[in-house]
Amino acid sequence: MSRFIELLKTGPISGFRLRTKLLLLALTTLALPWAGCQYAREMESVLRESEQQSLLAVTTTIAGSLKGRQELLFRADSLPGAEGNNSRDITPVVLSGAPVIDGLTDEWDSDARNVVRVAGPGSDSLQLLAATHERWLYLALLVHDNRWVFDSSEMTPLDSETIGDRVWLAFDDKRGGQQRLFFASTGPGPVRGRRIETLEYGRESAVEEPRIGGVWQRSRDGWVLEISLPLSMVGQHLGVLIDDRDRRGAPRASYGTLEVSDLRATGRLIAASPDLNEHLRQFAQPGVELTVASDTGAVLTRLDAPALPGDYTRMRGFLPRMYRLFLDGGAIPRSVSQAERERSAQELTQRAARGKPETDLFAGRYENSVIVAAAAPIFSADGKRVIGVIQLAQTADRWLTLRDRALTRLLNLTLFVTLFAVGAAFWFAGRMTLRISRLGAASETALGREGSVSRLLPESESRDELGDLSRSFSSLLGRLDEYTGYLRTLAGKLAHEIRTPLTIVRSSLENLESESTSDNAKVYIARAREGSERLGAILSAMGAATKVEEAIAHSERQRFDLGALVRATVAAYGTAFPNRRFACEVPADPVHMSGAPELIVQMMDKLVDNAVDFSADGATISIVLSADENQAEISVANPGPPLPPEADTRLFESLWQSRAETDTPQVRLRPHFGLGLYIVRLIAEFHGGSARAANLPGDSGAIFSVRLTRW
Amino acid sequence: MWPPHTCRQEVAYTSSAMKKTIAIVEDERAIRDNYAAAFAREGYAVRGYPNRRDAMSAFAARLPDLAVIDISLEDEPEGGFELCRELRGLSAELPIIFLTARDSELDAVSGLRLGADDFLTKDLSLAHLIARVNALFRRVDALRRPTEEKQVIRRGALTLDSERMSVEWNGQVVLLSLTEFWIVYALTKHPGHVKNRQQLMDAANVVLDDNTITSHIKRIRRKFQVVDEKFDAVHTVYGMGYRWVE
Repeated sequence: MSRFIELLKTGPISGFRLRTKLLLLALTTLALPWAGCQYAREMESVLRESEQQSLLAVTTTIAGSLKGRQELLFRADSLPGAEGNNSRDITPVVLSGAPVIDGLTDEWDSDARNVVRVAGPGSDSLQLLAATHERWLYLALLVHDNRWVFDSSEMTPLDSETIGDRVWLAFDDKRGGQQRLFFASTGPGPVRGRRIETLEYGRESAVEEPRIGGVWQRSRDGWVLEISLPLSMVGQHLGVLIDDRDRRGAPRASYGTLEVSDLRATGRLIAASPDLNEHLRQFAQPGVELTVASDTGAVLTRLDAPALPGDYTRMRGFLPRMYRLFLDGGAIPRSVSQAERERSAQELTQRAARGKPETDLFAGRYENSVIVAAAAPIFSADGKRVIGVIQLAQTADRWLTLRDRALTRLLNLTLFVTLFAVGAAFWFAGRMTLRISRLGAASETALGREGSVSRLLPESESRDELGDLSRSFSSLLGRLDEYTGYLRTLAGKLAHEIRTPLTIVRSSLENLESESTSDNAKVYIARAREGSERLGAILSAMGAATKVEEAIAHSERQRFDLGALVRATVAAYGTAFPNRRFACEVPADPVHMSGAPELIVQMMDKLVDNAVDFSADGATISIVLSADENQAEISVANPGPPLPPEADTRLFESLWQSRAETDTPQVRLRPHFGLGLYIVRLIAEFHGGSARAANLPGDSGAIFSVRLTRW
Repeated sequence: MWPPHTCRQEVAYTSSAMKKTIAIVEDERAIRDNYAAAFAREGYAVRGYPNRRDAMSAFAARLPDLAVIDISLEDEPEGGFELCRELRGLSAELPIIFLTARDSELDAVSGLRLGADDFLTKDLSLAHLIARVNALFRRVDALRRPTEEKQVIRRGALTLDSERMSVEWNGQVVLLSLTEFWIVYALTKHPGHVKNRQQLMDAANVVLDDNTITSHIKRIRRKFQVVDEKFDAVHTVYGMGYRWVE
């Protein structure tokens, strides 16, 4: 704290005004919203944590309900795990509605985890999508092929000279046999799977299989073949193979999931049990997406989230946006593509497949939206083997909304409080500064130039520290007043006190003179008399200020013509000071004013005395009277030495003598103790005016001006 | 500085029964004695009193012919004023002079209002003081004699008897102090002539500063204005002095 105060005194803000300092202090309330943000973040992370935990709990519960129930997870024919992981495995997704077999795959809810990719020759490639709905298996082959070669329409599909691109579908049947079918087309459109049957005489024929149909369509970069077949036909394994030809009858380039040599299917068909969805539906919750994956991570089924009532509604407006920018700051991932989201989900599934429940956060579909996901492994009955993974995903929009609302409210409030605090500090500082500067100004002017002290300071009624300050100022000024009062009256008192012994000396000398004394004694008596005369002159000079003050107090105002007065007075100076010339400038019209003419004359006497004292013999002293409607100004200028620099303000103070007094006989006879100009000021102030002094241009002399109010 | 002395008795400096008696009431013994010596030299009988009580008990028995009084007397700062009032109660004609170190306007006004014939400060030289005392005795004597016309100056509404030192305006008496009378006398001797301050001071046998002269002039005007509101015979000539205009 003391260091802080030290910093305030000497630190970078020490040069600021009080108001600025207080304002800066008030700005520290901005820490409030910052603290609020920290709190909100804390709250948010706690919320998220609890959300994750509860989601994880639900996930684990569902996983527990599925423990060891392999038959509920997978259809009876496909028992995964026996042959390990196989890149040729096909895991169809359970669809909530049957896809339309039209060669377009928009309605397929394809999941990256379930797509089987096979690279063909050159840039050719195959993406195999699989799905189930009720008792049907759907396959979609998305083939990247720069050239789609059709069969000739005139020839049979088995004529090796004219055949084009061909798709093979092979699977186990329930009896353990192998089924091989091919799709061939003379153009885009519906196709049927054909089985090659060897008739009698070894003649081969392509027999259509009515249950296996599809649609072959051109796509942007190749072609698409959608196939549907009854799930009941298929045993454990299933695969497809593409015979790609550059032209009819050309040698084939085969690629796919079947063995090229004997068209045997080695990839498993891992499909969910038809009852799985029924089982899972009981766990469905609004806003929660439920996914069951095989131990490899391929999605078996997914229950889409039913619509969430009151979805995340973003708070609009400038301030909430600013808050979000300020708050999130990268803590929450930005929106990502579908593929990335699926990859995140897949990673989570794979982590859970290792045997431990996991949770994760990833970016949702909208900007700043977050998905909370939890995944738990489903164990086999003995608990030793993971047979699948269940994953729940939920948008975190609900608590985001909560957080945003709370934060916005909090930030609005703190912002308001801060503004209020800053405003209050500003007002307070302004008031304080005003009070202090009023006090400062009052204390500066309290000490009048002549030493009189006005004790009335502002704030002396206040009960705070400023009041104390004002009161101590007042008492200080009071003491100063007493002291200056003492000083002011000292000369007069002293003169009065000295007058009595002086009278004794003088009367004694006068008596002595009348006694018969020797000539020598007469000389000494004369000297003693001269000395006492001078003492007497000094005494009356010392009391002069008091006498003038008294005279002013007893003065009566009368109307008179200042112009005539100045003219007459200056004329008299000509005879009084024969060694000086006097130039007089007075307006032709009478300058009537109300005042005490004797005092004005006395004032002019002092000014002229002063001018005579500081000018050489033969110098011209110019006296100018000018007047407007409200004021008159008398100025007396004399050539001579300039005023000392500090004289300007102090010249008119009592007992102040700046210019070195020469010890002339005149000064000895008429000592004035620097009271002359003080008297000038007293008289000017009596007439509602002021006196000032300045140097003549080029420091060639001094000019004293007295301004009088004409009244 | 000067130890208070315990002089309670009337101090007789000369004892001639035929001489005029001057009472000096002054608490400063050295001053009192010096004044007494000066007056004695002039042939007056002088009695000195240090305070009001001693003075009043002596005056009750026998009045002096003239009293010189200081304002502050021992323990009474305004004792002189009180004494003056009591003395006036005893005699309306007795000349009273205030002689004091206090030179404020207020004191002068108060003293003269109490019926003193003059108010002097101790700056005054003994010679001037004696001139005044002589003048006051002359006036007292003159008042006892019938008026001699040659001593009378008439200037319009003004009638000035230099012997009795009395002034009338339009036949009404204007009561002036000695200093005021001498100022008026100096001004009216040569009407229209400007008398500067020095001349007025010399005429009044007094040393005064500018402000005191000014207040004397003011008082004179006011006293005339008491009997005649339109009185405007004393003119100020700025920078020069004053003159009497008929």
